[in-house]
Amino acid sequence: MLTFTLRRFSLFIFTMLVLTLLSFSLSFLFPGDTVINHSGQIHATPTELVELNKVYKMDENIFSQYNAYLSHILQGDLGQSMASQSPISDEIIELLPATIELSLVALLIAMLIGIPLGFIAAIRHNKTSDNAILSFAMIGYSIPVFWLGLLAIHTFSINLGWLPSAGKISLLFEIDFVTGIQFIDILLSDSPYKWQAFSNASAHIILPACVIALAPATIFIRLSRAAMIEVLAAPYIRAARAKGLSFNQIIFRHAIRNALIKIIRHVGLQFANLVTIAMVTEVIFSWPGIGRWLIESIYQRDYTAIQSGLLVLSCFIFLVHILTDFIYAALNPLARGNNHGS
Amino acid sequence: MAREKTYLEEVFPSPFMQLWGIFRKTPVAMAGFCCFIFLILLAIFAPILSPYSPVDSNLEMILLPPAWHPDGNVSYLLGTDELGRDMLSRLMYGTSLTFGLSFIVVFFSLVIGVVIGSLSALTKGIKSSFLNHFLDVVLSIPSLLLAIIIVAILGPGISNTVWAVAIVFIPQFIHITRYAVKEEFRKDYVLASRLDGASNFRILYYSVFPNIIERLMSQATLAQSAAILDIATLGFLGLGAQIPLPEWGAILANGLERFYIAPWTVYLPGLAILFAVVATNLVGEGIRHALKLRKEN
Repeated sequence: MLTFTLRRFSLFIFTMLVLTLLSFSLSFLFPGDTVINHSGQIHATPTELVELNKVYKMDENIFSQYNAYLSHILQGDLGQSMASQSPISDEIIELLPATIELSLVALLIAMLIGIPLGFIAAIRHNKTSDNAILSFAMIGYSIPVFWLGLLAIHTFSINLGWLPSAGKISLLFEIDFVTGIQFIDILLSDSPYKWQAFSNASAHIILPACVIALAPATIFIRLSRAAMIEVLAAPYIRAARAKGLSFNQIIFRHAIRNALIKIIRHVGLQFANLVTIAMVTEVIFSWPGIGRWLIESIYQRDYTAIQSGLLVLSCFIFLVHILTDFIYAALNPLARGNNHGS
Repeated sequence: MAREKTYLEEVFPSPFMQLWGIFRKTPVAMAGFCCFIFLILLAIFAPILSPYSPVDSNLEMILLPPAWHPDGNVSYLLGTDELGRDMLSRLMYGTSLTFGLSFIVVFFSLVIGVVIGSLSALTKGIKSSFLNHFLDVVLSIPSLLLAIIIVAILGPGISNTVWAVAIVFIPQFIHITRYAVKEEFRKDYVLASRLDGASNFRILYYSVFPNIIERLMSQATLAQSAAILDIATLGFLGLGAQIPLPEWGAILANGLERFYIAPWTVYLPGLAILFAVVATNLVGEGIRHALKLRKEN
């Protein structure tokens, strides 16, 4: 486990270097002055500009420029937003939890629906229900998410009027910002309308989370189906059957556990996919998250925000990646060998 | 009776023909393949086939519903949008933008990815390890996010979208080519031709490529379905194709304001995207299925 941790750690350092290098070079690629792209201070006076040039070491070589940029990031200074002139780190701290909340709920829905369906398809391999589940997976995987979101709003919000179509919570409820994750904040608050707020927030999250969850759910169907088919063909299942265990015992005691381990490995990769889908869905459902903020900053040509948004989002995705790797390695001793990450 | 063949020769089909033989026998995959060919033909011949111009407005025929609706007009089969532009013509032209461009994009990334990937498969040591880690990092960033960033650098527009999507899809082709070439290089038949004195490039061209082409094709179909969705999503967000262009995502975004009174301007482009992606995925699924069966035989 120690070598595994060290390997992951070195990969993490390397990735962070590449990602910061990428966002550093973006400042040069975007139109406009590099130091203004770094800091976002578009209204800087000439004296301030001189000061900024000194802080970012713009007159020295490229390595010390990168060094200066890196030390700014490590101190938590991502510059100012060109559009609102407020520090980007504050905006991100406010917006990122909303995205995390939405993607986690969507991931949960996707796993709860996708994995059991995949198992059913694998157990009924090559039968009608298997084909039906696979066709559903194919269509769910192919639907453009923005179209699905619009159809969902049209059906459930406008025609049926069951669920709200936009935002995180009704504006009537006043919830103090503590962690940024709405459900935790509601539970922590001492408002007398706590439970109304809670049910209101749940009603708001259902529609966007289900829209996001559809595509990852279909991928989980395929993954869990493949994993289950592989497990059911393994010799230990045949041995269990030969011992006279009933079908339910084989599935619940032996097959599901071994198949689940194989799926956990892919959760991290799917998460990246899910966050992209969440970005588009946030725009449609006016969800106050980092995806909508990032796309709006592209409309406003807020280069500092784009650059930092990319950095933060990809760091977040990579952290989830590493976390799932660790969970997988902790659950499955076979994965700690040298053949991974090499 | 004259014998047409004096020598009964046993014919061994090439791996690719074997694959085609299996592929042909799966009806669903063939249906997808027919739709795929249909879309390609439509993309090429849209200017000849479409009844109206996709951009000229006709103010007498505004927001006409599709022909099967009581208020519909049969000369505008799928209705018109808020400027009286025929939806059918717009969707047909959109085929060459969304579907045709995604095809070109994937082909371009495939060629570049295969060249870089096979060159990197031949290198060893620190260079190779660096490339591997670098690819891992790039592949961990979602394709749409990266495409959005590249569009932010280049500025919105359909040609910039094409560049962005093409750049985004190169790493996955590098990754899969590299992996496949390395795997083939460990096999005995490569060793045999190496003992015959073949150079690395000769082995690559004559021995390795014919054996990995199906895997690349299967990856290409995956990439194309993602490319269609990415181009359409960028168009929908207003970062891709700009206003008069009949790109499917842009048509959808355009119909958004009148969704409630003219739902067909949103339903139809969405269905078109769905149709194109399903057709592409069916072809890919068919190739993967055939590959699996060929391996088992």
